[in-house]
Amino acid sequence: MKQHPLCTDTERESGVMGLPIPAGLKREWAALETRRQFLGRSGKVLGWAAAASLLGARGLIGDAHAAGLAPEPSPADLKLPQFAPKAKRAIYLFMSGGPPQMDLLDYKPNLAALYDKDIPDSVRGNQQLTGMTAGQARFPIAPSHWSFQRYGKTGTWVSDLLPYTGRMVDDLTIIKSTNTEAINHEPAIMLMNTGNMNAGKPCLGAWLSYGLGSMNDNLPTFMVLQTKTNPKENNQPVSSRLWSSGFLSSEYAGVGLRSGGDPVLYLSDPDGVDREVRRKMLDAVEQINRQTLAEMGDPETNARIAQYEMAFRMQTSVPELADLSKEPQSTWDLYGPDAKEPGTFAYNCLLARRMAERGVRFTQIYKRGWDVHGDVTGVLPLLAQETDRGCFALVTDLKRRGLLDDTLVIWAGEFGRTVYSQGGLTKDNYGRDHHPRCFTTWMAGGGVRTGITYGETDDYSYNVVRDPVTVRDLNATILHCLGIDHNKLTYKFQGLDQKLTGPVPASVVPGLLA
Amino acid sequence: MEVKVLPRAPVRLLPKRRRARVVASASVALSIALLLLPVCLRLDGKPHADWQQFLGRFHPLAVHIPIGLLVLLPLLELLGRNRPSLREAAEFVLALAFAGCLGSVTLGYLLAYGSGEAGPGVTRHMWGGISLSLCVLLCVLARPAWRVGYVLWAYPALLVCAMLVLIWTADQGGSLTHGSNYLTQYMPPTLKHVLSLGRPNPQPVAGSFYERHINPIFDSNCVACHGQSKVSGNLRLDSYEALMAGGKDGPVIVSGQPEKSILFERITLPPDHKQFMPAEGKPPLKPEEIAWIKAWILQGASPTAANLAGVHVRDDSPEMSLQPVGDYSALMNEIRQMQKGQGAKLVPVSSKPSDGLILNTVDVAASFGDAQLAGFSKFAPYIVEAELGRTALSDASFSTLGTFTHLRALHLEGTAVTGNGIQKLASLSQLTYLNLSNTRMTKAAAAQLDSMKALRHVYLYDTPAQPAPAVDAAQPIARNPQ
Repeated sequence: MKQHPLCTDTERESGVMGLPIPAGLKREWAALETRRQFLGRSGKVLGWAAAASLLGARGLIGDAHAAGLAPEPSPADLKLPQFAPKAKRAIYLFMSGGPPQMDLLDYKPNLAALYDKDIPDSVRGNQQLTGMTAGQARFPIAPSHWSFQRYGKTGTWVSDLLPYTGRMVDDLTIIKSTNTEAINHEPAIMLMNTGNMNAGKPCLGAWLSYGLGSMNDNLPTFMVLQTKTNPKENNQPVSSRLWSSGFLSSEYAGVGLRSGGDPVLYLSDPDGVDREVRRKMLDAVEQINRQTLAEMGDPETNARIAQYEMAFRMQTSVPELADLSKEPQSTWDLYGPDAKEPGTFAYNCLLARRMAERGVRFTQIYKRGWDVHGDVTGVLPLLAQETDRGCFALVTDLKRRGLLDDTLVIWAGEFGRTVYSQGGLTKDNYGRDHHPRCFTTWMAGGGVRTGITYGETDDYSYNVVRDPVTVRDLNATILHCLGIDHNKLTYKFQGLDQKLTGPVPASVVPGLLA
Repeated sequence: MEVKVLPRAPVRLLPKRRRARVVASASVALSIALLLLPVCLRLDGKPHADWQQFLGRFHPLAVHIPIGLLVLLPLLELLGRNRPSLREAAEFVLALAFAGCLGSVTLGYLLAYGSGEAGPGVTRHMWGGISLSLCVLLCVLARPAWRVGYVLWAYPALLVCAMLVLIWTADQGGSLTHGSNYLTQYMPPTLKHVLSLGRPNPQPVAGSFYERHINPIFDSNCVACHGQSKVSGNLRLDSYEALMAGGKDGPVIVSGQPEKSILFERITLPPDHKQFMPAEGKPPLKPEEIAWIKAWILQGASPTAANLAGVHVRDDSPEMSLQPVGDYSALMNEIRQMQKGQGAKLVPVSSKPSDGLILNTVDVAASFGDAQLAGFSKFAPYIVEAELGRTALSDASFSTLGTFTHLRALHLEGTAVTGNGIQKLASLSQLTYLNLSNTRMTKAAAAQLDSMKALRHVYLYDTPAQPAPAVDAAQPIARNPQ
């Protein structure tokens, strides 16, 4: 997994040596490793010797360039964006854990009458269940605990949990028919972010920074903001796999800002080191790195050099970005008091707006805790209260500042939740399991048709009955808004022209476009 | 022993005169067969066997073989004056072209008959194809005489005839597949005027909901197959009369009853349904278009009603056609140098150079002042978007910006401008987006923006002209439209 050199994620990759296996096995592995390396290298040496005699000195130099020192395929060769984009940047509000669609935006009034009745088998079909509910004898329908009201000129139904979202429904493109193939968090969240359930592929933000490049040389192109977790919620892990650059150069990976303390670790100069000294040190390090590059020809060295420079510039740009003292009172009126506390969702939304102003191409905010397997009535109000106002404030703030015209905002989790209760169902409480067949997402801003609801689910919010939008289609549509044909943003790796939407056909959803 | 090689006599299966007679009678029989084809198997507008369509769909492909050969023919004949070998080849090419004609006519007929295509356009194209085949047949018959010096005028005349028929038929065919205005749609207006191409379609009552919203839907989605030149299912949607007259299954609009209207049923089927419209993988209608058609039928399918109850159409003034910027390739080196350095940059909007450039100053905003902006004057006509937010620009820059003739979006948010001199932007006919939020824009200056009609997105948030509103954090108001 390629992490951004400035990424502060603490999760470490475990090598064979770190595995809990007998020491003997490890020794054997180490021996194999060296023998393999030796044989592999000697094979190459023989090959080179042969090539040298065949080609003569000049031919060999030419080859060496082709083999190692050739530059990575340059993003400039991609000629992106392919067409004039509607959106220049995007902000992705990721609701990790899977928000329950029927408690928030997918209004199903008829469910009240079906309280505690079993969901018909014909509806459930052959849907795979998670291990958490597969053993359940019954699948009793749990109607939403909250009532819904109509909002805006469009008269869209929104749960009482989301009063602020209700105020901006006319600016939203609500997609009720999003659906995924994965039923567990890790594959589902990988699929949403990288277009593939298995780790190792670049994520949406990495593709965007690779394809579109930076708009601001002093800040990373792709930034990730994590929201502080609330221990009352069921927080699924979120790791730098999700903002990895996969096989792309690591300079395209997301840079995470920490939710407390220094936004980027080790960014400020230590005591006694001033900017002048730091500059000299960086120049020296760069020289060494250039030597390494000349010797090894590993393009990652280039990425490293670029990142040292970026970090140097970020020493001034990040403190300026995170300095909220000049925000007018109207900002605090809009975002609410939470926004003053670093690490809250509202604070991150405010930072995202400031990043949009400063030309950050892609900002992703992670909010964990939506995995409501039980105690929905206890936990969901917390989640709604934490996120509702921030979402509204972000969209409204972008709109009044004229940024929403060319910024795409996306709100999504990795899947939805079941209409039937996981565990016991009472009048006051219930739980909901993972549900891949339908979930509700929304978008706003540049490129999408606002004030509409797209797609429809059946009466149980279980199956999509009209206009399904797969994760691939959603990603293709997002790329389209940013001026990219998803079939043409590719990178040759492992013999394939890799792309965000993968080898399975995906299509832009014309009904979502402005 | 000496073997004497005799010049080989041409092998003839039949004596010469008898052969000519057979050829003549075969030609006559073939001509009659071709002429009778539409009479025997009338194009009845109903689809027939699938295999016919399967083969028929190769017609648009196969048809280019005889076209290519026929176009080659006059060339061979003309150049053959100097190079006799080309004349030899011409005979073969002509025979091949004739065979190709017959094949194409057969496939074309299978296509029309199999898919149930009918209408004046299809009929004209069909007769064109048949006439062309006959012309080519006559050419085949006339050529041997011409070669040996008899009736010298007949073959060239026939060949010219064939060419003219070919052009006309090909044009008819093209209109069927691409629509009758395919070639003229993007013709420069002056040329259009010279050729005096008008729209013959009768116009319904001007300003009605039908004319403003319903007809344009059909125009852009349906008339390629249900229009003047191609009338699938005997249904035309290019005029109100034709729409209400319906097609082979009767009326398609039952006024007041969308659920009984075939047209509405077809556009709301699942997209993979065989009868779904628009057919053949064309994009489905947009949800609000379907909603308008439904409401329009429900409320009487009137050609005159100006508005429908309960239907709010976002009345966007039609998007101005964006003026492409000129060719700036001569300045490309300079632009690339800029992109490599740290500083203000010019970035292409897209891979299409005519989409223009974005002036990006975010890296050096604090030091980017009026003088720096003036330095970009030579790029002025190519810049469509100027991102000058939080720069050190002042009101003095409005006169520079007034020369950015192709500017569409101007970001001045967070600068110190007060709007003094903002009327200099009035000359920018393309400017639709102007962001002045968080500046010192005065009310008086903001009022001057009202006269700039092209401006559609003006942001004055947090300025003296529009002080930041206190957000009402109380319970939101639930509006219940129904």
